[in-house]
Amino acid sequence: MISYGRKFFSYRAVSTLVVFVALILFFTFFTPQRLFIDPRNISALSKLMPDLGIVALGVGMLMICGEFDLSICSILPFCSYIFVLLLRAGTNLSVNLVITLLGGAFLGLVNGLVTVKGRIPSFITTLGTMMFWRGVLYVHSRMWPIGIRAYLPTGSSFENILTGIIGGVLPVQVLWFGFLGLVLGIILHFHKFGNWVYTTGDNKEAARAMGINTDRVKTICFMIVGVLCGFAAVMQLLRLGSFAATQGIGFELKAIAASVVGGTSLRGGIGSMAGIFLGALTIQILENGLIFMRVPVFGITTFIGLAIILFVILNNYIERKRRG
Amino acid sequence: MKRIFLSILVVALLLGGFLLDATAQKPGAGMYFRLVTHGGDDPFWAVVHKGMLDAAKELGCRADIDLCGGDLALQQKRFREAVGMKPDGIALVINDDTAWDKPVADALVAGVPVIGMNNDDKEHAAGNLRLCYIGQDERRAGYMIGKRLFEEGRKKGWDLTKAHVAMPVEVPGAMYGVVRSQGILDAMKEYGITSYEVIDAGGLEMTTVESRETSYLLANPKTKFMIGLGGICTDRLTDSLKAAGKKPAEVIAGGFDTTPTTLTGIREGYVTATIDQQQYLQGYFAIYVLYLYKKYGLLPNIDTGGYLVDSVDKIGLIEKLSPLMIR
Repeated sequence: MISYGRKFFSYRAVSTLVVFVALILFFTFFTPQRLFIDPRNISALSKLMPDLGIVALGVGMLMICGEFDLSICSILPFCSYIFVLLLRAGTNLSVNLVITLLGGAFLGLVNGLVTVKGRIPSFITTLGTMMFWRGVLYVHSRMWPIGIRAYLPTGSSFENILTGIIGGVLPVQVLWFGFLGLVLGIILHFHKFGNWVYTTGDNKEAARAMGINTDRVKTICFMIVGVLCGFAAVMQLLRLGSFAATQGIGFELKAIAASVVGGTSLRGGIGSMAGIFLGALTIQILENGLIFMRVPVFGITTFIGLAIILFVILNNYIERKRRG
Repeated sequence: MKRIFLSILVVALLLGGFLLDATAQKPGAGMYFRLVTHGGDDPFWAVVHKGMLDAAKELGCRADIDLCGGDLALQQKRFREAVGMKPDGIALVINDDTAWDKPVADALVAGVPVIGMNNDDKEHAAGNLRLCYIGQDERRAGYMIGKRLFEEGRKKGWDLTKAHVAMPVEVPGAMYGVVRSQGILDAMKEYGITSYEVIDAGGLEMTTVESRETSYLLANPKTKFMIGLGGICTDRLTDSLKAAGKKPAEVIAGGFDTTPTTLTGIREGYVTATIDQQQYLQGYFAIYVLYLYKKYGLLPNIDTGGYLVDSVDKIGLIEKLSPLMIR
């Protein structure tokens, strides 16, 4: 029994789970009038959290592979813009979605190829592409918001599939977040591609020696990030009702923070989809709960920064204990 | 053959001369102006840029705009570079009361005319040597929107002495938010409102802003007024109010700029009013004033805003001009 318990707590994601549950209980009992568990708050969180959460799933997987992607804050609005342009052109919505996702995949492919073929640190590659794609977007869109209701009235079935509400209570976005987390989790933990991701992130040279095409693995991970950005972009666009060139700003650091809080190592090779999923939730409910605790809103960033540092220290401690 | 060739040559010369003459008739031909701004990730500046381009086209001059994304150090660097280019004039967003004193003075000494636009020194001409100012009086705009919203509360019979005002801002500490909130505080004094909070909305990202506004509304049920200090905070008001379970006009909301969602909010009754800064005029008049100064030494101060949009009638005109990036 004790050995099962030890084994359970040795998983990095468990520390995130413990903190996540602790935060929920803390905010439930200590927010005024227990507003944290007010159905309106739960509904709002369920609707908004997946925007960052879905992107964080991909970013975390890429970090396990040993790379970073700072360009998500540009890929996301760029994909949103692609969708809007096609919408205005009258393209079939499903085709529009597929093209948008392919657009995201392409942007991810560019990141991957430049990183692996150019032998450039992904931090630098994606810093460059972040600026490049944002610049292209600004020049083409002139940063002008574009309303979509003239082309897609509210309440269409397409919109309901991506951003509807089930039973008047549960936003569909949270189901998509869970579903994508599950799919990526299965790939990461039960498919050989997942093994390749871990091995590539842990020791690239050893992975190569084992016959793993590490360049291809990394490129595919970049493309997964791009596709998820495209999906989140469309969901966000439908929910906002208009395109804004500022969509996704700041997501790159928050997604990394969510992955780190979820136990993903900055050095690669360590992490889990469950941890990334919980990390994305934890970061956002922390912010939400602190507002309910009447923490001065200017001070919230302080607490989030502190939380990130403490999580890294905690995860490093757990890792040292595991290696023993 | 020779005659035909000569005839063609004469006609071509006459036509060329006519065209040259037509081009030379553009009054600003050969002039170059630069706008150095703190703008960036905000559609507001697309309209300023359009105004600048339209004026430059009419005058036949060249003009460029710097968008420094709120980075003061970068903006100062761009300004120095612009001065080094020796343009015929610079329009500068004076978003700090002290940081621009010396750079503007040095530019004027170097013979480069500098006017203020969009944001001005709090002490106006007494605080900075810029030659004149074109833009909205941010404090007056804040006062206008505050007064409009608080008057709505008074009409409803609310006890305003107990009312709480929330003011979400995208970039805490940025001059636009600080000065606008001062104007709102001026209006609050008139209506006897004392309780307020400026909220860090978390930046320019829409989901983050909506999340913070929604959470704040749920956590602070005594909030009777929510005034977005910037365009994005105002844009997200409608969805935040809905998510917090508020009915239209249950919380009196308003703010700045006329994004599609803000205009929808006015239609649905969630947003009572917004200020259209008429920023097209800031870009447009900046070029014209610099030209007129170069040509005739004229230096008018021009107040470009704010236009109060508080009814469905006013929305129609804006929606027509919005795709053209004029409003």
